[in-house]
Amino acid sequence: MSLPETVPFLGWAWDDLLFLFFAGALLGTGLMVVIGRNIIRSGLWMICCFGALAGLYVLLGAPLIAAAQVLIYIGAISVLVLFAVMLTQSKSGPVGLVFHHQAWAGALAALGIGILVAVVVAGTAWPLAETARTPSPTEELALLLFRDYVLPLEVVSVLLLAAVIGGVFLAKREREPEETIVPAEPARERMPAPAPAVGTRELTP
Amino acid sequence: MSGFLLTAAETETPVAAAGATDMLLVTLLVALPLAGFALTALLGRRLYTKAWVIAVPVMIVTWLIGLYVIAQALGGAYGEEGLHFTLYRWIPAGDFTVDAGFLVDGLTAALLIVVTTVGMLVHVYSIGYMAHEPGRWRFFAYLNLFMFSMLLLVLADNFLVLFAAWELVGLCSYLLIGYWYKRRSAALAAKKAFIVNRVGDVGFGLGIMAIWTTVGTLNFHEVFEALPEAGLEPWMITGIALLLFAGAVGKSAQFPLHVWLPDAMEGPTPVSALIHAATMVNAGVYLVARTSPIFAQSPFAMLVVASIGIFTAILAASIAMTQTDIKRVLAYSTLSQLGYMFAALGVGAYFAAIFHLMTHGFFKGLLFLGSGSVIHAVHEEQDMNRMGGLWRKIPITHITMLIGSIAISGIPFFAGFFSKDEILGESFKLGFGWVWFIGVVVAVMTAFYMFRLMGKTFYGPSHVDPHVADKIHESPPTMTIPLILLAIPSMFLGVAIGWPPEGGLIHQWLGPVFHEAEELLGHELEPYAIFGIDGFLLGASVAVAIVGMVMAWRYFGFRVPLLGAEVQPRARRVEVLTERFRGWYDASFHKWWFDDLNHLLFVRIGGAVAAALWWFDVNIVDGAVNGVARLTQGTGREIRQIQTGRVQNYALGIAIGLLVVAVSYLVVTPR
Amino acid sequence: MSGSLQSYLILSALLFAIGTFGFLARRNAIAMLMSIELMLNAVNLSIVAFGAFIPALRGDAAIIALMVMAVAAAEATVGLAIVIAIYRNSRTPLVDEYDRMRQ
Repeated sequence: MSLPETVPFLGWAWDDLLFLFFAGALLGTGLMVVIGRNIIRSGLWMICCFGALAGLYVLLGAPLIAAAQVLIYIGAISVLVLFAVMLTQSKSGPVGLVFHHQAWAGALAALGIGILVAVVVAGTAWPLAETARTPSPTEELALLLFRDYVLPLEVVSVLLLAAVIGGVFLAKREREPEETIVPAEPARERMPAPAPAVGTRELTP
Repeated sequence: MSGFLLTAAETETPVAAAGATDMLLVTLLVALPLAGFALTALLGRRLYTKAWVIAVPVMIVTWLIGLYVIAQALGGAYGEEGLHFTLYRWIPAGDFTVDAGFLVDGLTAALLIVVTTVGMLVHVYSIGYMAHEPGRWRFFAYLNLFMFSMLLLVLADNFLVLFAAWELVGLCSYLLIGYWYKRRSAALAAKKAFIVNRVGDVGFGLGIMAIWTTVGTLNFHEVFEALPEAGLEPWMITGIALLLFAGAVGKSAQFPLHVWLPDAMEGPTPVSALIHAATMVNAGVYLVARTSPIFAQSPFAMLVVASIGIFTAILAASIAMTQTDIKRVLAYSTLSQLGYMFAALGVGAYFAAIFHLMTHGFFKGLLFLGSGSVIHAVHEEQDMNRMGGLWRKIPITHITMLIGSIAISGIPFFAGFFSKDEILGESFKLGFGWVWFIGVVVAVMTAFYMFRLMGKTFYGPSHVDPHVADKIHESPPTMTIPLILLAIPSMFLGVAIGWPPEGGLIHQWLGPVFHEAEELLGHELEPYAIFGIDGFLLGASVAVAIVGMVMAWRYFGFRVPLLGAEVQPRARRVEVLTERFRGWYDASFHKWWFDDLNHLLFVRIGGAVAAALWWFDVNIVDGAVNGVARLTQGTGREIRQIQTGRVQNYALGIAIGLLVVAVSYLVVTPR
Repeated sequence: MSGSLQSYLILSALLFAIGTFGFLARRNAIAMLMSIELMLNAVNLSIVAFGAFIPALRGDAAIIALMVMAVAAAEATVGLAIVIAIYRNSRTPLVDEYDRMRQ
């Protein structure tokens, strides 16, 4: 079975159709994330948004990125976010007031930034850009990653380790409330004096 | 060691006999009391009752050194110009240079005699007088600081060092008047002394600036040499002289700045004796004498000096006649005697002025120390109405004070007789008959108030508190020995240095110093004639002194039947006298209302002006300043609202800022 | 349409604007974190688009995109841990009630 050269009736290329579909899905779900009243639904919409983005990556000829997108964002980060949502929900359920009182100003600013970037992008000639998309083969990426970019790779792995430790440390529940109330004075004495330029010391009572 | 520090100033006459030793000793004269002050101030608190162990020996050593230096200077070892050397360059500022230099000539030596001797004796006396005073280490430290300042004052060889010392003695005076600072009256008196002195010092400071701008140097000798050749208008010389005299008027408490000295009696009595009778108040006389070549060029300034002096003399004497506080009588007496000295300086009788300064320093120091002994004996009572009949109980004090009183009254052959007679006689012979006349009136008053004091204190019926009367006893030796030692010069100093008249030692000593001024004035004194005019003047002043003394004796002294029928009791007679001269008595008793006048002028009217200025300052000047502060504060308070502490407000700011920057970039950049 | 760089970049800009709006307007801290994820993804989309349309950037862009993902993961971990820690203290996920720094 083979598809027609173009989309039936419309006469578009299939790529264009897919692009429109994914683009629409991306923006639609993205909007649902930020305006959704229920935070859990926002999280679920975010997963859909990430999925649409993975589709766009495939369309751009970057299947490895698309796979990473699915694994990292949909598989890891979204789950993390959903867990956090569940850990922080008040017993009273979703809050009535979703938006800040500055939401209208935020909307204007966001709209302004979007229009600004869009106008600039549309007004730029992009002389190096070609019309044909060049797919990036996975072997090539692997060679680059483990040969030219091996040092950044290792740095990122250290960063992830630090993030894991930091996350565990921050989210860990203190065992005894006494330990939380550390007297300020001895602590300051034990620690080396902060540099005078820091200035936070003056602010602390 | 000494040669390293000290270099002989370039003087035209070579000073052969004055070697490095003399320079070192003169330096030590100033350095020792300063060291004593520093040590006592640092360690005094730990010395407890023995706070004097540093200060007093230091002062005795200083006195011995002083004696040597005086002997050298008066013996002619330093030549006519005196010993003059520079310790180091104090202020090197381009054209303006001031050296810390010392000058020891006859005038300095004459002052040194009084300053070191009375200073040393007062130090010794203070051991006994302050024996029960907590915190006396402070007293001894200040006393040493004062000695340093006073010695620096008389040793200075230029106006700026003199001015610095001038202010230092003023500071010590302030500190010591306010020694009992917890007592409100003492604190107020200290402030009064300080502020009134400032008024005069402004003039002094302006005078020094005027000298600098016209002559370009501040060294005494250089100024005196350059001033006649500077081609100044006469009014400028007069101005400089009067500005300097303003300083002298403040320091020596002459009219109209005399109001501080009587109040200064709030200080401990040794302080009154040392600072407010024998030494510091003489600084004004010293200044005018030292700058006599300037004054001699301006007849008008001389006239002002003479008028102010003699007016103060009679004003203060009239007040002294009715005061009841023993120390205040002596304070007004001091004013009066200082007035004599200024009158003498004004008429051109420089020798007589300094002569009287010296004798007065001794007998007035004696009288003050004696009054301190009396006050001590009657348990810190200063009112003469609560004394009387003490002469048997405190004999040494009585005898020494009697000597002092005779000396100040001008009874023959005591010290005051010679000096006072010389002042009066020279005034008359130099053509200032009015000065002589007022001076004679003052002499009557002086004798009267001194023997009124003696009568009310030592003779007459006793009004001492019965509880105290039994416990009256003579003071300890540390107090009586200085009294005896001061009584000796009070008796013999006059004859020792003032005889023969106008040719005695004092004239030899001071001759070179006043030579220039005498030449400028062109005074030609007739030779002294004991059987001519001088004999008449002498007889007149002795006669009036005896008249005053006898009058006082009749009202306040022993009952001597020969001198008058005992018609009515003595207290009644005083009352009658008082009633007859009611107006005069009131005026005198209220010190001619000078304090009230000052109160009206400076506290009421000046206060109103100050209040107006204050209003201006608070509302306009401060208003502007505070307005700026309030504006800033208000702006800050409003702007602080932006600092909500909420992340999203800041993020919105970032977003808007980004938009503004990017859009402006796009708008501004040409395409 | 799908063959031009501009269309992807504009799409990215719009997604970024949506993320910005969410970050500025939502009261819930986790919703703000989600908005940040959207913005990161928008940036990633533009990076990948550059890599696809400009041959010189082909490999590098993909690598950078991967790096961004890794950093985003770290950011999400720490960010969510912070939210949970704050929530434990203040018992609310609403950011505008976190005003302790203000006092």
